[in-house]
Amino acid sequence: MTGKDIAKITFNLVVIYLVGGLLLAYVYARTSPVIFINNKIAKEKALQALVPEADKIDKLGDWEPHEKHAEYFVARSCGEVKVKTIKDEKTGKTKEEKECINPKDIGYIVQTFGKGYSSYINILFSVDTDFRVRKIDILHHAETPGLGDEIEFDYFKNRFVGKDVDHLKVVKNETDEYIQAITGATISSRAVTEDGIRKGLEFLIKALEGGHQGEVSHEQPQS
Amino acid sequence: MSSHSHDTISKWDLVKNGIFKENTIFRLVISLCPAIAVTNSVKNGFFLGVAVLFVQTMVNSTVALIRRFIHPKIRIPIFMLIISGWVTVVDMIIAAYQPEVYKQIGLYIQIIVAFASILARAEMFASKNSVGNSFFDGLGSGLGFLVALVIISFFRELLGKGTLWGVSIVNAKPMLIFILPTGGFLAVGLLMGFFNWIDMRFYGGKGAGGAGGH
Repeated sequence: MTGKDIAKITFNLVVIYLVGGLLLAYVYARTSPVIFINNKIAKEKALQALVPEADKIDKLGDWEPHEKHAEYFVARSCGEVKVKTIKDEKTGKTKEEKECINPKDIGYIVQTFGKGYSSYINILFSVDTDFRVRKIDILHHAETPGLGDEIEFDYFKNRFVGKDVDHLKVVKNETDEYIQAITGATISSRAVTEDGIRKGLEFLIKALEGGHQGEVSHEQPQS
Repeated sequence: MSSHSHDTISKWDLVKNGIFKENTIFRLVISLCPAIAVTNSVKNGFFLGVAVLFVQTMVNSTVALIRRFIHPKIRIPIFMLIISGWVTVVDMIIAAYQPEVYKQIGLYIQIIVAFASILARAEMFASKNSVGNSFFDGLGSGLGFLVALVIISFFRELLGKGTLWGVSIVNAKPMLIFILPTGGFLAVGLLMGFFNWIDMRFYGGKGAGGAGGH
Protein backbone atom coordinates (compact mmCIF):
# COMPACT_ATOMS: atom_id res chain seq x y z
CA MET A 1 0.00 0.00 0.00
CA THR A 2 1.52 3.30 -1.06
CA GLY A 3 1.24 6.63 0.66
CA LYS A 4 -1.18 7.69 -2.04
CA ASP A 5 -3.50 4.79 -1.18
CA ILE A 6 -3.43 5.65 2.49
CA ALA A 7 -4.20 9.28 1.74
CA LYS A 8 -7.09 8.33 -0.52
CA ILE A 9 -8.58 5.90 2.00
CA THR A 10 -8.33 8.49 4.76
CA PHE A 11 -9.91 11.12 2.54
CA ASN A 12 -12.72 8.69 1.56
CA LEU A 13 -13.56 7.88 5.14
CA VAL A 14 -13.45 11.46 6.37
CA VAL A 15 -15.78 12.65 3.62
CA ILE A 16 -18.23 9.76 4.13
CA TYR A 17 -18.33 10.30 7.89
CA LEU A 18 -18.82 14.03 7.52
CA VAL A 19 -21.59 13.82 4.94
CA GLY A 20 -23.31 10.90 6.68
CA GLY A 21 -23.00 12.57 10.08
CA LEU A 22 -24.48 15.81 8.81
CA LEU A 23 -27.38 14.00 7.13
CA LEU A 24 -28.15 12.00 10.25
CA ALA A 25 -27.87 15.07 12.47
CA TYR A 26 -30.31 16.92 10.24
CA VAL A 27 -32.88 14.11 10.19
CA TYR A 28 -32.48 13.57 13.93
CA ALA A 29 -33.02 17.25 14.65
CA ARG A 30 -36.19 17.22 12.55
CA THR A 31 -37.68 13.96 13.82
CA SER A 32 -36.74 13.67 17.50
CA PRO A 33 -39.14 16.36 18.77
CA VAL A 34 -41.96 14.71 16.80
CA ILE A 35 -41.07 11.29 18.22
CA PHE A 36 -40.95 12.72 21.74
CA ILE A 37 -44.38 14.31 21.41
CA ASN A 38 -45.81 11.16 19.81
CA ASN A 39 -44.66 9.05 22.73
CA LYS A 40 -46.05 11.51 25.24
CA ILE A 41 -49.43 11.69 23.51
CA ALA A 42 -49.57 7.90 23.15
CA LYS A 43 -48.91 7.50 26.88
CA GLU A 44 -51.51 10.07 27.90
CA LYS A 45 -54.06 8.48 25.58
CA ALA A 46 -53.38 5.01 26.98
CA LEU A 47 -53.86 6.27 30.54
CA GLN A 48 -56.98 8.25 29.72
CA ALA A 49 -58.53 5.26 27.93
CA LEU A 50 -58.31 3.22 31.13
CA VAL A 51 -60.30 5.73 33.18
CA PRO A 52 -62.21 7.70 30.53
CA GLU A 53 -64.14 9.89 32.98
CA ALA A 54 -61.06 11.06 34.89
CA ASP A 55 -60.31 14.76 34.65
CA LYS A 56 -56.81 14.43 35.92
CA ILE A 57 -54.29 11.59 36.12
CA ASP A 58 -51.36 12.09 38.47
CA LYS A 59 -48.31 9.95 38.91
CA LEU A 60 -48.01 8.48 42.40
CA GLY A 61 -44.64 6.79 42.07
CA ASP A 62 -42.42 4.15 40.51
CA TRP A 63 -41.95 0.48 41.17
CA GLU A 64 -39.90 -2.34 39.68
CA PRO A 65 -41.68 -5.54 38.70
CA HIS A 66 -39.10 -8.00 37.26
CA GLU A 67 -36.48 -5.30 37.73
CA LYS A 68 -38.09 -3.18 35.04
CA HIS A 69 -39.17 0.40 35.50
CA ALA A 70 -42.93 0.88 35.85
CA GLU A 71 -45.18 3.64 37.18
CA TYR A 72 -48.47 3.89 38.99
CA PHE A 73 -51.03 6.65 38.92
CA VAL A 74 -54.14 7.97 40.59
CA ALA A 75 -57.12 9.02 38.51
CA ARG A 76 -59.13 11.95 39.85
CA SER A 77 -62.31 13.70 38.97
CA CYS A 78 -62.65 17.35 39.75
CA GLY A 79 -65.45 18.77 41.84
CA GLU A 80 -65.14 21.88 39.73
CA VAL A 81 -62.88 22.86 36.87
CA LYS A 82 -61.67 26.41 36.71
CA VAL A 83 -60.12 27.52 33.43
CA LYS A 84 -57.51 30.20 33.73
CA THR A 85 -56.08 32.04 30.77
CA ILE A 86 -52.38 32.59 31.15
CA LYS A 87 -50.34 34.86 28.96
CA ASP A 88 -46.83 33.76 28.10
CA GLU A 89 -44.56 36.77 28.61
CA LYS A 90 -41.98 35.71 26.05
CA THR A 91 -44.13 34.72 23.09
CA GLY A 92 -47.16 36.81 23.91
CA LYS A 93 -49.41 33.81 23.29
CA THR A 94 -52.23 32.99 25.64
CA LYS A 95 -52.92 29.48 26.74
CA GLU A 96 -55.60 27.97 28.88
CA GLU A 97 -54.73 26.17 32.05
CA LYS A 98 -57.21 24.06 33.95
CA GLU A 99 -57.33 24.15 37.67
CA CYS A 100 -58.88 21.27 39.51
CA ILE A 101 -60.85 22.17 42.63
CA ASN A 102 -61.83 19.52 45.18
CA PRO A 103 -60.35 16.56 43.32
CA LYS A 104 -61.74 13.17 44.26
CA ASP A 105 -59.87 9.89 43.75
CA ILE A 106 -61.91 7.65 41.50
CA GLY A 107 -59.38 4.93 40.76
CA TYR A 108 -55.80 3.92 40.19
CA ILE A 109 -53.76 2.91 37.17
CA VAL A 110 -50.78 0.59 37.49
CA GLN A 111 -48.19 -0.40 34.92
CA THR A 112 -46.81 -3.88 35.41
CA PHE A 113 -44.83 -6.65 33.73
CA GLY A 114 -45.63 -10.36 33.53
CA LYS A 115 -43.13 -13.00 32.46
CA GLY A 116 -44.77 -14.73 29.52
CA TYR A 117 -43.84 -17.59 27.23
CA SER A 118 -41.38 -15.69 25.07
CA SER A 119 -41.33 -12.13 26.42
CA TYR A 120 -42.09 -9.83 29.29
CA ILE A 121 -45.63 -8.60 28.78
CA ASN A 122 -46.03 -4.90 29.51
CA ILE A 123 -49.48 -4.29 30.96
CA LEU A 124 -51.47 -1.26 32.08
CA PHE A 125 -54.58 -1.73 34.20
CA SER A 126 -56.98 0.42 36.14
CA VAL A 127 -58.89 -0.37 39.33
CA ASP A 128 -61.67 1.29 41.28
CA THR A 129 -61.07 2.66 44.75
CA ASP A 130 -62.30 -0.71 46.09
CA PHE A 131 -59.56 -2.42 44.01
CA ARG A 132 -61.67 -4.20 41.45
CA VAL A 133 -60.21 -4.23 37.94
CA ARG A 134 -61.91 -1.80 35.58
CA LYS A 135 -59.97 -2.18 32.37
CA ILE A 136 -56.68 -3.60 31.14
CA ASP A 137 -54.45 -2.76 28.21
CA ILE A 138 -51.54 -4.75 26.78
CA LEU A 139 -48.85 -2.23 25.85
CA HIS A 140 -46.19 -4.53 24.49
CA HIS A 141 -45.38 -8.21 24.19
CA ALA A 142 -43.74 -10.74 21.88
CA GLU A 143 -45.83 -13.82 22.58
CA THR A 144 -46.43 -16.49 19.94
CA PRO A 145 -48.48 -15.14 17.02
CA GLY A 146 -51.79 -16.95 16.75
CA LEU A 147 -51.69 -18.32 20.30
CA GLY A 148 -50.26 -16.09 23.01
CA ASP A 149 -50.95 -12.89 21.12
CA GLU A 150 -54.65 -13.34 21.82
CA ILE A 151 -53.98 -11.63 25.17
CA GLU A 152 -54.43 -8.46 23.11
CA PHE A 153 -57.95 -9.42 22.06
CA ASP A 154 -60.97 -7.82 23.67
CA TYR A 155 -62.62 -11.12 24.59
CA PHE A 156 -59.69 -11.90 26.89
CA LYS A 157 -59.24 -8.38 28.23
CA ASN A 158 -62.94 -8.20 29.10
CA ARG A 159 -62.60 -11.23 31.37
CA PHE A 160 -60.79 -9.02 33.89
CA VAL A 161 -63.59 -6.51 34.46
CA GLY A 162 -64.71 -6.46 38.10
CA LYS A 163 -62.18 -9.00 39.39
CA ASP A 164 -60.46 -8.43 42.73
CA VAL A 165 -57.18 -9.87 44.02
CA ASP A 166 -58.76 -13.15 45.12
CA HIS A 167 -60.35 -13.77 41.72
CA LEU A 168 -57.33 -12.95 39.56
CA LYS A 169 -56.57 -16.61 39.08
CA VAL A 170 -56.29 -18.54 35.83
CA VAL A 171 -58.39 -21.68 35.41
CA LYS A 172 -58.64 -23.84 32.32
CA ASN A 173 -62.36 -24.61 32.48
CA GLU A 174 -65.08 -22.26 31.44
CA THR A 175 -65.70 -19.75 34.21
CA ASP A 176 -66.92 -16.26 34.94
CA GLU A 177 -65.71 -16.21 38.51
CA TYR A 178 -62.01 -16.46 37.71
CA ILE A 179 -59.99 -15.76 34.54
CA GLN A 180 -60.47 -18.40 31.90
CA ALA A 181 -57.20 -19.24 30.12
CA ILE A 182 -56.83 -18.75 26.37
CA THR A 183 -56.90 -22.15 24.69
CA GLY A 184 -53.34 -23.21 23.97
CA ALA A 185 -51.84 -20.20 25.73
CA THR A 186 -52.05 -20.93 29.45
CA ILE A 187 -48.58 -19.53 30.12
CA SER A 188 -49.37 -16.18 28.50
CA SER A 189 -52.75 -16.04 30.28
CA ARG A 190 -51.08 -16.73 33.63
CA ALA A 191 -48.38 -14.15 32.96
CA VAL A 192 -50.97 -11.43 32.39
CA THR A 193 -53.31 -12.44 35.20
CA GLU A 194 -51.13 -13.65 38.05
CA ASP A 195 -47.58 -12.50 37.41
CA GLY A 196 -48.69 -9.18 35.98
CA ILE A 197 -51.98 -7.81 37.23
CA ARG A 198 -52.36 -9.64 40.55
CA LYS A 199 -48.84 -8.72 41.63
CA GLY A 200 -49.41 -5.17 40.47
CA LEU A 201 -52.62 -4.92 42.43
CA GLU A 202 -51.04 -6.40 45.56
CA PHE A 203 -48.25 -3.88 45.23
CA LEU A 204 -50.71 -1.01 44.81
CA ILE A 205 -52.71 -1.96 47.91
CA LYS A 206 -49.54 -2.24 49.96
CA ALA A 207 -48.12 1.03 48.63
CA LEU A 208 -51.32 2.92 49.41
CA GLU A 209 -51.57 1.46 52.91
CA GLY A 210 -47.96 2.36 53.42
CA GLY A 211 -48.82 6.00 53.81
CA HIS A 212 -50.21 7.42 50.58
CA GLN A 213 -53.28 9.56 50.40
CA GLY A 214 -56.60 8.01 49.51
CA GLU A 215 -59.64 6.46 51.13
CA VAL A 216 -57.94 3.17 51.93
CA SER A 217 -55.34 4.75 54.15
CA HIS A 218 -55.97 3.93 57.79
CA GLU A 219 -53.20 6.18 59.01
CA GLN A 220 -53.09 9.91 59.02
CA PRO A 221 -51.98 11.18 55.61
CA GLN A 222 -48.30 11.97 55.78
CA SER A 223 -46.94 15.35 54.74
CA MET B 1 -16.57 0.19 -15.18
CA SER B 2 -18.00 2.18 -18.07
CA SER B 3 -21.24 3.89 -17.23
CA HIS B 4 -22.41 3.32 -20.78
CA SER B 5 -22.17 -0.45 -20.77
CA HIS B 6 -25.79 -0.93 -19.73
CA ASP B 7 -27.37 1.85 -21.72
CA THR B 8 -28.73 -0.66 -24.19
CA ILE B 9 -30.90 -2.13 -21.42
CA SER B 10 -34.11 -0.20 -20.87
CA LYS B 11 -35.11 1.03 -17.42
CA TRP B 12 -38.13 -1.25 -17.48
CA ASP B 13 -35.90 -4.26 -18.18
CA LEU B 14 -33.84 -3.40 -15.11
CA VAL B 15 -36.94 -3.21 -12.93
CA LYS B 16 -38.35 -6.44 -14.39
CA ASN B 17 -35.04 -8.16 -13.86
CA GLY B 18 -35.19 -7.37 -10.15
CA ILE B 19 -38.75 -8.57 -9.78
CA PHE B 20 -38.56 -11.80 -11.81
CA LYS B 21 -35.24 -13.05 -13.07
CA GLU B 22 -33.16 -11.99 -10.10
CA ASN B 23 -35.84 -11.95 -7.42
CA THR B 24 -34.04 -11.68 -4.08
CA ILE B 25 -36.04 -14.38 -2.31
CA PHE B 26 -37.23 -16.80 -4.97
CA ARG B 27 -34.33 -16.67 -7.44
CA LEU B 28 -31.20 -15.43 -5.64
CA VAL B 29 -32.26 -17.03 -2.34
CA ILE B 30 -30.73 -14.32 -0.13
CA SER B 31 -32.22 -12.43 2.85
CA LEU B 32 -34.35 -15.39 3.85
CA CYS B 33 -34.15 -14.41 7.54
CA PRO B 34 -36.52 -11.44 7.23
CA ALA B 35 -38.58 -13.35 4.67
CA ILE B 36 -39.47 -15.76 7.44
CA ALA B 37 -39.33 -13.53 10.52
CA VAL B 38 -41.80 -10.82 9.49
CA THR B 39 -44.13 -12.56 7.08
CA ASN B 40 -46.68 -13.81 9.62
CA SER B 41 -48.98 -10.98 8.57
CA VAL B 42 -49.45 -9.15 5.27
CA LYS B 43 -49.20 -5.78 6.99
CA ASN B 44 -45.77 -6.51 8.45
CA GLY B 45 -44.51 -7.99 5.19
CA PHE B 46 -45.76 -5.03 3.20
CA PHE B 47 -44.26 -2.32 5.41
CA LEU B 48 -40.91 -4.03 5.73
CA GLY B 49 -40.94 -4.45 1.94
CA VAL B 50 -41.57 -0.73 1.48
CA ALA B 51 -38.73 0.14 3.87
CA VAL B 52 -36.37 -2.19 2.01
CA LEU B 53 -37.50 -0.78 -1.34
CA PHE B 54 -36.60 2.74 -0.20
CA VAL B 55 -33.28 1.74 1.38
CA GLN B 56 -32.27 -0.37 -1.62
CA THR B 57 -33.00 2.41 -4.09
CA MET B 58 -31.19 5.07 -2.07
CA VAL B 59 -28.19 2.85 -1.34
CA ASN B 60 -27.84 1.84 -4.99
CA SER B 61 -27.99 5.47 -6.14
CA THR B 62 -25.52 6.65 -3.51
CA VAL B 63 -23.05 3.86 -4.24
CA ALA B 64 -23.24 4.50 -7.98
CA LEU B 65 -22.79 8.23 -7.42
CA ILE B 66 -19.55 7.88 -5.49
CA ARG B 67 -18.23 4.63 -7.05
CA ARG B 68 -15.32 6.36 -8.83
CA PHE B 69 -14.05 8.08 -5.69
CA ILE B 70 -13.92 5.06 -3.43
CA HIS B 71 -10.66 3.20 -2.93
CA PRO B 72 -11.34 -0.47 -3.88
CA LYS B 73 -9.76 -1.73 -0.64
CA ILE B 74 -12.39 -0.09 1.60
CA ARG B 75 -15.29 -0.58 -0.80
CA ILE B 76 -17.34 -2.91 1.44
CA PRO B 77 -16.98 -0.92 4.71
CA ILE B 78 -18.05 2.21 2.83
CA PHE B 79 -21.09 0.40 1.42
CA MET B 80 -21.97 -0.68 4.96
CA LEU B 81 -21.71 2.92 6.18
CA ILE B 82 -24.01 4.08 3.40
CA ILE B 83 -26.51 1.32 4.16
CA SER B 84 -26.58 1.99 7.89
CA GLY B 85 -26.90 5.72 7.26
CA TRP B 86 -29.98 5.30 5.06
CA VAL B 87 -31.50 2.70 7.38
CA THR B 88 -31.16 5.10 10.32
CA VAL B 89 -32.84 7.84 8.28
CA VAL B 90 -35.77 5.54 7.41
CA ASP B 91 -35.99 4.37 11.02
CA MET B 92 -36.26 7.91 12.39
CA ILE B 93 -38.72 9.07 9.73
CA ILE B 94 -41.11 6.15 10.26
CA ALA B 95 -40.85 6.51 14.05
CA ALA B 96 -41.79 10.18 13.77
CA TYR B 97 -44.51 10.14 11.14
CA GLN B 98 -45.94 6.59 11.27
CA PRO B 99 -45.81 5.66 14.97
CA GLU B 100 -48.46 2.93 14.61
CA VAL B 101 -46.54 1.17 11.86
CA TYR B 102 -43.30 1.68 13.74
CA LYS B 103 -44.72 -0.18 16.72
CA GLN B 104 -45.17 -3.20 14.48
CA ILE B 105 -41.98 -3.23 12.42
CA GLY B 106 -39.57 -0.94 14.28
CA LEU B 107 -37.53 -3.90 15.39
CA TYR B 108 -37.07 -5.18 11.85
CA ILE B 109 -36.15 -1.85 10.26
CA GLN B 110 -32.90 -1.70 12.15
CA ILE B 111 -31.86 -5.14 10.95
CA ILE B 112 -32.16 -4.05 7.33
CA VAL B 113 -28.53 -3.00 7.88
CA ALA B 114 -27.57 -6.66 7.90
CA PHE B 115 -29.68 -7.75 4.92
CA ALA B 116 -27.46 -9.57 2.44
CA SER B 117 -29.69 -8.45 -0.42
CA ILE B 118 -28.91 -4.74 0.00
CA LEU B 119 -25.14 -5.22 0.08
CA ALA B 120 -25.36 -7.76 -2.76
CA ARG B 121 -27.07 -5.29 -5.11
CA ALA B 122 -24.63 -2.51 -4.18
CA GLU B 123 -21.63 -4.75 -4.89
CA MET B 124 -23.02 -6.67 -7.88
CA PHE B 125 -24.61 -3.80 -9.73
CA ALA B 126 -24.36 -0.27 -8.34
CA SER B 127 -20.58 -0.29 -7.95
CA LYS B 128 -20.23 -0.93 -11.70
CA ASN B 129 -23.07 1.09 -13.23
CA SER B 130 -24.41 4.59 -13.70
CA VAL B 131 -26.60 6.35 -11.14
CA GLY B 132 -29.70 6.10 -13.34
CA ASN B 133 -29.35 2.40 -14.03
CA SER B 134 -28.49 1.68 -10.40
CA PHE B 135 -31.56 3.57 -9.27
CA PHE B 136 -33.80 1.40 -11.44
CA ASP B 137 -31.96 -1.76 -10.47
CA GLY B 138 -32.54 -0.87 -6.80
CA LEU B 139 -36.18 -0.12 -7.56
CA GLY B 140 -36.60 -3.48 -9.29
CA SER B 141 -34.84 -5.50 -6.68
CA GLY B 142 -36.68 -3.69 -3.87
CA LEU B 143 -40.01 -4.28 -5.61
CA GLY B 144 -39.08 -7.94 -6.10
CA PHE B 145 -38.43 -8.23 -2.36
CA LEU B 146 -41.68 -6.42 -1.54
CA VAL B 147 -43.71 -8.66 -3.87
CA ALA B 148 -42.08 -11.81 -2.48
CA LEU B 149 -42.79 -10.76 1.12
CA VAL B 150 -46.41 -9.93 0.33
CA ILE B 151 -46.96 -13.27 -1.45
CA ILE B 152 -45.41 -15.26 1.39
CA SER B 153 -47.27 -13.36 4.10
CA PHE B 154 -50.54 -13.59 2.14
CA PHE B 155 -50.48 -17.39 2.34
CA ARG B 156 -49.15 -17.51 5.87
CA GLU B 157 -51.67 -15.09 7.35
CA LEU B 158 -54.60 -16.61 5.45
CA LEU B 159 -53.74 -20.21 6.29
CA GLY B 160 -52.45 -19.58 9.79
CA LYS B 161 -54.83 -16.98 11.20
CA GLY B 162 -57.68 -16.90 8.72
CA THR B 163 -57.22 -13.14 8.33
CA LEU B 164 -55.77 -10.76 5.73
CA TRP B 165 -54.34 -7.36 6.74
CA GLY B 166 -55.84 -8.08 10.15
CA VAL B 167 -59.36 -8.49 8.73
CA SER B 168 -61.05 -11.79 9.41
CA ILE B 169 -61.68 -13.79 6.21
CA VAL B 170 -62.60 -17.21 7.54
CA ASN B 171 -63.62 -17.53 11.16
CA ALA B 172 -61.10 -20.26 11.95
CA LYS B 173 -57.41 -21.00 12.02
CA PRO B 174 -57.09 -23.61 9.27
CA MET B 175 -53.37 -24.35 9.71
CA LEU B 176 -51.92 -22.58 12.69
CA ILE B 177 -48.45 -23.91 11.88
CA PHE B 178 -48.13 -21.42 9.02
CA ILE B 179 -47.68 -18.39 11.26
CA LEU B 180 -45.09 -20.13 13.40
CA PRO B 181 -41.46 -20.12 12.16
CA THR B 182 -41.79 -23.71 10.97
CA GLY B 183 -44.58 -22.67 8.66
CA GLY B 184 -42.41 -19.83 7.37
CA PHE B 185 -39.84 -22.30 6.08
CA LEU B 186 -42.61 -24.44 4.60
CA ALA B 187 -44.26 -21.49 2.87
CA VAL B 188 -41.01 -20.11 1.44
CA GLY B 189 -39.95 -23.59 0.25
CA LEU B 190 -43.27 -24.38 -1.38
CA LEU B 191 -43.50 -20.99 -3.10
CA MET B 192 -39.91 -21.24 -4.30
CA GLY B 193 -40.68 -24.67 -5.72
CA PHE B 194 -43.76 -23.25 -7.41
CA PHE B 195 -41.81 -20.41 -9.04
CA ASN B 196 -39.10 -22.85 -10.12
CA TRP B 197 -41.76 -25.03 -11.67
CA ILE B 198 -43.18 -22.07 -13.61
CA ASP B 199 -39.67 -21.21 -14.71
CA MET B 200 -38.95 -24.74 -15.93
CA ARG B 201 -42.35 -25.25 -17.50
CA PHE B 202 -42.67 -21.98 -19.41
CA TYR B 203 -39.20 -20.50 -19.71
CA GLY B 204 -36.96 -23.54 -19.87
CA GLY B 205 -35.22 -22.88 -16.54
CA LYS B 206 -33.10 -19.96 -17.70
CA GLY B 207 -33.45 -17.93 -14.49
CA ALA B 208 -30.57 -17.12 -12.17
CA GLY B 209 -29.32 -20.01 -10.06
CA GLY B 210 -29.48 -20.23 -6.28
CA ALA B 211 -26.76 -18.49 -4.32
CA GLY B 212 -27.36 -19.04 -0.57
CA GLY B 213 -26.69 -16.62 2.23
CA HIS B 214 -28.97 -15.24 4.89
